[in-house]
Amino acid sequence: MKPVYIAGAGMTKFGRSEWSLLQLASVASLAALHHADLGEIPVDGVVVANMGAARINRQTALGSALVDQLALYPAAAEAVENGPASGASAFKVGVQAIASGMADVVLVTGVERMRVVNGLEGTDFVASLSQPEVEYIYGVTLPSLAGMFARLFMDRFGVERKHLAMIAIKNHENATKNPYAHIQQTVTMEGILTAPEAVVNNPPIAEPLHMFDCCPVSDGAASIVLVSEEVAGKLGGPMVRVAGIGQATDTHAVHEREDPTDLKAVRIASEKAFAMAGAQPADVDVAELHDAFTILEIAESEAAGFFAKGEGHKALERGETKLDGTLPINPSGGLKAKGHPVGATGVAQLVELTWQLRGEAKERQIKDAKIGYACNFGGFGNNVVATVLRREA
Amino acid sequence: MMGQKVFGAKCTSCGTVSYPRHAVCPNCRAESFEDVEISGTGKVLTYTDVYALAIDYETRYLRLAIVELESGQRVTGQLLDDDPKLGKAVKTQIGVVREQGERQMYGFQFVPA
Repeated sequence: MKPVYIAGAGMTKFGRSEWSLLQLASVASLAALHHADLGEIPVDGVVVANMGAARINRQTALGSALVDQLALYPAAAEAVENGPASGASAFKVGVQAIASGMADVVLVTGVERMRVVNGLEGTDFVASLSQPEVEYIYGVTLPSLAGMFARLFMDRFGVERKHLAMIAIKNHENATKNPYAHIQQTVTMEGILTAPEAVVNNPPIAEPLHMFDCCPVSDGAASIVLVSEEVAGKLGGPMVRVAGIGQATDTHAVHEREDPTDLKAVRIASEKAFAMAGAQPADVDVAELHDAFTILEIAESEAAGFFAKGEGHKALERGETKLDGTLPINPSGGLKAKGHPVGATGVAQLVELTWQLRGEAKERQIKDAKIGYACNFGGFGNNVVATVLRREA
Repeated sequence: MMGQKVFGAKCTSCGTVSYPRHAVCPNCRAESFEDVEISGTGKVLTYTDVYALAIDYETRYLRLAIVELESGQRVTGQLLDDDPKLGKAVKTQIGVVREQGERQMYGFQFVPA
């Protein structure tokens, strides 16, 4: 395989947007293209990541639509729908195109415009990824799978609601340093858990998970420009290499897993990504995890290999995953506070890592970050893409 | 409901019962199955009260659970128990679990054993 580098990264602010799906995708793409500053070097391919446009925006064939918006004809165009892992999957498709020698420059853009529908419809569109015959028919939604996972995980490993609140507090705090984040508001332990009014501020969503354990519903787009070694050499500037990608699937129905608290696909995808990168979890300087629900940040931090099983919440308690800790997790604010426009999320995680590895993350910059890791968690853990990026020069 | 049953797929080669059914047996990769009824008593593995509901539901929340049946299968369904606890003994019954317009969908409900 040929080496693949990231030449540029950009995104829109996440949140409620008045922009159309294509405007969102175009704005993020142009930000990444300007960041890459390709000059006369042509874009060979465009890969768009999206989950719900066919249903909620009544729009399909987003790859060619984006090529048209950006006047990148005759660039090859495609779209990837892979549930909440669409973003990192599309990134992987772009990486494969360059690694194989079929392309030199690929634009990967993730986009979702999901606030256009009401809450029931929005929750249902995501719930449609669940097993239709044995989960969906019962009214299973993603929050309900997360709630059942959380109750079992907390019971087995001694995780308490205060630990979940610590994730929310940390990620909200980080998001206030990220101008692209959906939620720009800090929260306190009193406000969401211990004060009498916390029951009003923080109502249950899927017990034991409450509102501040769940990511918001966001519109937004994120974009990355991938290039071959030859093009990267011409461009100069910081060299961020795609060091490793791993992907794994698990059973569709959560109840079929041998141990439903084991995020097996995260474990396998991460092992593969680290093996490809020739790196270890202990080498990672910054991580972006898929905290669609607070419990997932703890569980993924263990499954990815950063902490032993049952130790993630203890590392959190010790402050190790804060911005100034030994392994900062979700400096961007994570899905929890940065927001979760589903198809954009996997790309946005890699945008944050790119900025961190280039030293461009401003107020939330992690000093001398050289190796970054991202976990994009599709389904309820049945399709996971793990990515390792490395700053080379 | 009288006459309503939930079926799993028993592999005719290795005997593994899968729920849901797969086109290929996850245990031995054989491709031939016979229907077997899934029902009985078991224990609550985990549960939740979910307020973030999908379309088709007009209730305020749903109580959902994963139950480990004594027959070995795990199943997801609706928990009809005012005092839910992890590990509590329950038994399956079949009822309407979702209505899409005129269409009624039957599935597992769990009640105290």
